[in-house]
Amino acid sequence: MSEYKEFLTEKEQIDDLIRSGYRIQSVIENLDGAFVNFTHKDQGHCKSLHIGTANARKYFSSILMQQNNG
Amino acid sequence: MADLSINLAGIKSPNPFWLASAPPTNSGYQVQRAFDAGWGGAVWKTLGDPILNVSSRFAAVSFNGQRVAGFNNIELITDRPLEVNLKEIYETKKRFPNHAIIASLMVEPKQEKWHEIVKRVEDVGVDGLELNFGCPHGMAERGMGSASGQVPSLVEKQTYWVKEAARTPVIVKLTPNITDITVTAEAAVNGGADAISMINTINSLMGVDLDTWNTIPHVAGKGAHGGYCGPAVKPIALNMVAECARNPRISVPISGIGGISNWQDAVEFILMGATGVQICTAAMHHGFRIIEDMIEGLDHYLEQKGVSSLTEIIGKSVPRYSDWGNLDLNYNIAAQINTDVCINCNKCHIACEDTSHQCIDMLTGEDGRSYLKVREEDCVGCNLCAIVCPVDGAITMVETAASQPPMTWNDRQAALNTAK
Ligand SMILES: Cc1cc2nc3c(=O)[nH]c(=O)nc-3n(C[C@H](O)[C@H](O)[C@H](O)COP(=O)(O)O)c2cc1C
Repeated sequence: MSEYKEFLTEKEQIDDLIRSGYRIQSVIENLDGAFVNFTHKDQGHCKSLHIGTANARKYFSSILMQQNNG
Repeated sequence: MADLSINLAGIKSPNPFWLASAPPTNSGYQVQRAFDAGWGGAVWKTLGDPILNVSSRFAAVSFNGQRVAGFNNIELITDRPLEVNLKEIYETKKRFPNHAIIASLMVEPKQEKWHEIVKRVEDVGVDGLELNFGCPHGMAERGMGSASGQVPSLVEKQTYWVKEAARTPVIVKLTPNITDITVTAEAAVNGGADAISMINTINSLMGVDLDTWNTIPHVAGKGAHGGYCGPAVKPIALNMVAECARNPRISVPISGIGGISNWQDAVEFILMGATGVQICTAAMHHGFRIIEDMIEGLDHYLEQKGVSSLTEIIGKSVPRYSDWGNLDLNYNIAAQINTDVCINCNKCHIACEDTSHQCIDMLTGEDGRSYLKVREEDCVGCNLCAIVCPVDGAITMVETAASQPPMTWNDRQAALNTAK
C-alpha cells in the first residue's frame, strides 16, 4: 500500500472516532509510532489506535491542539 | 544612486565591500590599487611578529568546470616587519582618508604583547582593529589564531586586554572551527568587542595525489592542514552570521565573511544581519575590478527595491531564521513538472525513485510520447527533483493548500504534554 493510502486509512480511523464523539485522552509515542487513546465525551468508553504514518501523526496532533484550544 | 555607505561600530566606509585580511591586502601598493578600483575598506594582512612562509601555499577545488569552487591555503600572517606595514598603512590612509583601513592583529595571548601592538598600529591612524582569532594552521600550533579563538575564556580575556589599550573600534574575527560560534561570539562581546567578524577559514586537506601519494598541496613531500574558503564555504559562513545575528546576547554589529563572490552574496549576508562584508577568494580569483559589478549590482538592487540607503536592509531576514522546532509541520509544497519545458532526461524520476519518495511516474501519452508526472499526494516537497533538474522552469515547487492550521513541533510537543 502506498504511504498516502496508509495515511488515508489511519486518518479515516481517527475521523470515525472523532465523529462518534471521542476525544483524544492520551498519547504514547515510541519506536513503533504513536498509540492514541480516545475517550468518549459522554459515555466514557475508551478506544485506542496505533498510528504509524508521519502524516497521520501530524493529523492527530492537529486535532489534539484544536481540542486543547477549545 | 542609493547610499551604500556603512558605519560598522564607528568605522565608516563609502560602501560595504572590504577586502578581507589576506594576500590582497598585503601591501600599500595593493590596498591603494583596490581603493582606486572602488573597494570601500581593507583589513590589512594580519600584523604580528613577522613569520616565515613555506613555498606551495594554495590549492583549489575545481568542480565540474567551475574553477576555484573552494580554496585552501597554508599561508601564515604577514612576513614583513611591522614598521614597513605601518609606514604603508600611514601613506594609504593619507591618500584615502574616507576609506576604512582596519589593522588585523595576532600576537601571543599576553597582555603586554597586545598593548604594544595596539598602540603602535593606532599611532599610524587606522580606523579600527580586527583581532585574528581564526587562522587555523601554523599560528594555531603556536597557541595563536584559532587555538586561542576556540577557547571562549581566551577570546574574552584577549579582547579585554585590547580594549584596555585601544582607542579605535575593535572587531573580533572568529574561527568557524568550533561547534557553536555563538559561544565565542558572546565571549568577544563580554570582553568588550565593538563588532565581530566571521568566518576565518575552515580546517581542510584539499586532496591526495593518486600517483605520488603526496598531499595537495605538499611542501617537499609533506603536507599540513590548511584553511578552506571561497564559494564552497558560503552556506557555512552565512549560517554562522545568522546564528549570531539572531542571538540577543550578541548585540554588536557583524562583518560577514566567507565565500562572498558577487553582490547577490553580499546582500544575503546583509539581510542576515551583517552590516558589511569582507571578501578574499573572489578578489584572488578575478582581481580587484570585480568591485565594479558589485557596486553597480547592489545599487540597482536597492533602486529596484525602492530602498534609498543600504543600512535599511541590514538584518531584514533575521526574524525569518529560527529553530527547526518553530517550523510549520502542516505547510506543504509539491513538485509540478512543466511538460512543455521538460526534456525528459528522467533525472528527476531517477532521483525520486532511487533516493526519495517514488512519486514521479514515467507515463506514455496518447501520442505515444513519454512524459513525467508527479503524484502530488505522495510528494513530500523535498525539492530533490527540482535540484537535480538541468532545465530552468521545468520543475516548480508549488504550495499546496494546508488541510490543518499551522502547527510547529514545539506546539505539538506542548499539546502532547497535556495528553499524558
Ligand atoms: C591565502 C589566504 C591568506 C589568508 N590570510 C589571512 C590572514 O592573514 N588573516 C586573517 O584574518 N585571515 C586570513 N585569511 C582568511 C580571509 O581573510 C577570509 O576570512 C577567508 O578567506 C574567507 O573569505 P573568502 O571566502 O572570501 O576567501 C586568508 C585567506 C587566504 C585565502
